Amino acid sequence: MQAADMSTPGALGPSVSTSALRIESLTKTFVGGRALDGVELNIAPGEIHALLGENGSGKSTLIKVLAGYHRPDPGSLLQIGGLDLEVGSAHSSHALGARFVHQDLGLVESASISDNLAFGPGFPTKWGTIRSRRTRLRATAALEQMELDLDPGALIESLSPAQKTGVAVARALLADSVPDSGQPAGDVQLLVLDEPTARLPDSEVEHLLEIVRTVADRGIGVLYVTHRLDEVFQIAERASVLRDGVKVASEPVAGLTRDALLHHLLGAALEQPHRLNIADESSSAAGQPKATLSVDRLTSDVLTDVSFEVFPGEVVGVAGITGSGRDALCATIFGARARDEGTVHIRSEILPARRPDLAMSRDVAYVPAERKLQGCFLDLSARENISIANLRDFWRVPLLSRTKETAITKRWFERLGVRPREAIGQPLSSFSGGNQQKVVFGKWFQRVPVMFLLDEPTQGVDVGAKAELHSALFDAAQEGAAILMSSSDVDELVTVCDRVIVMRSGRIADTLHGDQINVHSITRSALGMAGDVVEPGSESANAVAS
Amino acid sequence: MIGINRNLGFDRYSGLYLWASLIIVFSIWQPRLFPTSATVHSVAANRAVAAVLALGVMIPLIGGVFDLAIGATANLATLSAVLLITNGHSIAVAVIVAILIGALIGAINGFIVVRLRVGSFIATLGMASVLAAVQIIVTGNSQPRSPSNSTWTALTQTKVLGFQIIVLYMLIIAAVLWWGLRHTPAGRYLYAIGSSPEAARLSGVRVDFYTWMSLIASGTLAGIAGVLYASLSGPSLSYGPALLLPAFAAVFLGSTQFSPGRYNVWGSILAIYVLATGVKGLQLVTDVVWLDLMFSGGALIAAVAVAGGRQRAGAEAKRRELVRQEDHHDRSSMGEPSAPAGEDG
Repeated sequence: MQAADMSTPGALGPSVSTSALRIESLTKTFVGGRALDGVELNIAPGEIHALLGENGSGKSTLIKVLAGYHRPDPGSLLQIGGLDLEVGSAHSSHALGARFVHQDLGLVESASISDNLAFGPGFPTKWGTIRSRRTRLRATAALEQMELDLDPGALIESLSPAQKTGVAVARALLADSVPDSGQPAGDVQLLVLDEPTARLPDSEVEHLLEIVRTVADRGIGVLYVTHRLDEVFQIAERASVLRDGVKVASEPVAGLTRDALLHHLLGAALEQPHRLNIADESSSAAGQPKATLSVDRLTSDVLTDVSFEVFPGEVVGVAGITGSGRDALCATIFGARARDEGTVHIRSEILPARRPDLAMSRDVAYVPAERKLQGCFLDLSARENISIANLRDFWRVPLLSRTKETAITKRWFERLGVRPREAIGQPLSSFSGGNQQKVVFGKWFQRVPVMFLLDEPTQGVDVGAKAELHSALFDAAQEGAAILMSSSDVDELVTVCDRVIVMRSGRIADTLHGDQINVHSITRSALGMAGDVVEPGSESANAVAS
Repeated sequence: MIGINRNLGFDRYSGLYLWASLIIVFSIWQPRLFPTSATVHSVAANRAVAAVLALGVMIPLIGGVFDLAIGATANLATLSAVLLITNGHSIAVAVIVAILIGALIGAINGFIVVRLRVGSFIATLGMASVLAAVQIIVTGNSQPRSPSNSTWTALTQTKVLGFQIIVLYMLIIAAVLWWGLRHTPAGRYLYAIGSSPEAARLSGVRVDFYTWMSLIASGTLAGIAGVLYASLSGPSLSYGPALLLPAFAAVFLGSTQFSPGRYNVWGSILAIYVLATGVKGLQLVTDVVWLDLMFSGGALIAAVAVAGGRQRAGAEAKRRELVRQEDHHDRSSMGEPSAPAGEDG
């Protein structure tokens, strides 16, 4: 019965011309600046609307506003299914019929499909006991609606990635009443999919697109956030592009070409390179025969046959969309992640797999992307965080020299501008994210590494602190250290790198040098449209092809 | 809202204040029985074994590993020492073998936890049961006779400044551990592992090695505690497991003292003696048997709930504030696919 309701969405709303989503003059200002500026967006029931934008363009902020996580600036109009969204209220967003499927699906892997579908709305019970048959029937109905041919008893972990996404969508669309709200517990009006295909292999994407079409056929408006241009043409009826918080286009896909879309995405102004001139010493360094890091046919669960070299004094960037292997490369080289095949040499010494301690003894430094989980010790003091990788320096039998430790911590606080300056003995959790990251860098700088492996080195770091970290890195490069930096922030790569490796589907897709290093070509290459930007014949391109 | 606690170091030293007030209250209440040197000496000596066991529990706990077998280990060491002596071996042999048994059990625990990747809680819980079985096999479940050897009892009962020498042993062990944990790289690594094993591994710390070593250390200390108990009180079939909870209680309580949020040597020792003082005082007032258990358990829950809860609340509030600031300040993370949006669905 609920399916019947869904197929006639207009009948429920107050008027026939109701949009699934209507946004007008949406502005969201943060302390650091404007994330969204006068954005408008309209999605009709049953429409699949693609939303594109670079990292930091405001996509995530837009979604968070819709979800009621962020409160937009006054004067913004937001309507879901024709009713005003009570801003900043997740409850209202849900009650009006907005549903979200995030990139991290939030499914319990070890539980069955029907259990996963029941965790949100609750299990049907009788006298406190789960009525398993009803749970199962409900799950079967939900799966049928999605045209998913799956056994409700199957465990999530046994499903393919696309099937998992399908289950997550089914769960989002489950009709659940909102008992304690004064607002009408309406049907689902809007489904927001946040980069649903980012972690899907190409073969699975088609299946997922089918699922999305099924949803739209039920009259639900779909906001489809993606990085992949191909999908836009395959699935969306209209596409909107955000750039720097401003909506630059909102056009029917039918009249759109790839180049036009790319133009919207990147903007003409961004095409001129604005990188610092740091190639001087690296060009002379390139003349030296011996690479600091050489990676040969490195293969793991997400990397395939990756080979490249990094020379002393060189800053090499790694670009690529999420899931391209970009985010695994540094960790795999350092030994934080497992590798299946391939060899890694540091200054022609071999680096064994899964041995961070040996990598460190060969003077390699690694800054992981997950700072809070892997990069630092939140409940130890800043002093202890800086000294942990260097305790030998402070060990004066029979005591660790507290004086020296404090002095060196002070030096790095000074050098990297860590605030607050007197808080050397305070637990790291009392510092802001940017300052925590500086402390992590201090720990590694203290070791004077010859090779830096950096994952998202300036994540959560404000602009000023970013510049300070970059200049400290440049100093290290000047003194002969090699730097491999993976970043989702393309601007950062353009600013600091001498060479950029672009990854796609676990392989090195392109290597960009000199003038090729600009936002435009990096993004094109990461999205798989590289042919017209990169001259064939670069050494790494050949290496990959062979 | 949490600024009030900073004055007088009440947060860090609340145990000392509590201790002082207990002593004052009972001195007024029982002026003839409580404030005597006999009371001081007997409390100090009687709790020394528990204190050593608490320190043993603490070492792996710093690295995030539970040793629930420590009571059974100590008990087995006690009985081994007694049996060796009654079978005519020298005291030196008995002491060394008993301590080695403790170390060996610790090494086996380490093997199970580090190599077989069994969670420490389960591994040592199982080991405790296995050791109880071994103990029955060894003793035939009948309590061996106490060795009537004056050198053996003198090992712990010689008087030094009025105290039995076991108190001195305990203080020496505590001092050595304090040095090892606070002032050597090994101790620092252990705290780092306890804070975040993955971050420790990526900082070059040999996590498995130190985890294993911490379990060997706790086993060894259990062996030492067992020997001390055998000399001080003679054999017992069941004291060890009964000391497990008080040992953990002392360590958890101790972590609210001196350096709050961290398991530390002097906090644990202080906790042992604060509880002992309270129990001793109450025992002079009434003679019910359940006092010790009730007092230790109640004090543990109350103190950890109040102190720990307050610390966590403070830390959590601070962290949230930071996250909020970060969220605002940081434009680059807004485009991150893994930003907090993933959590509010």
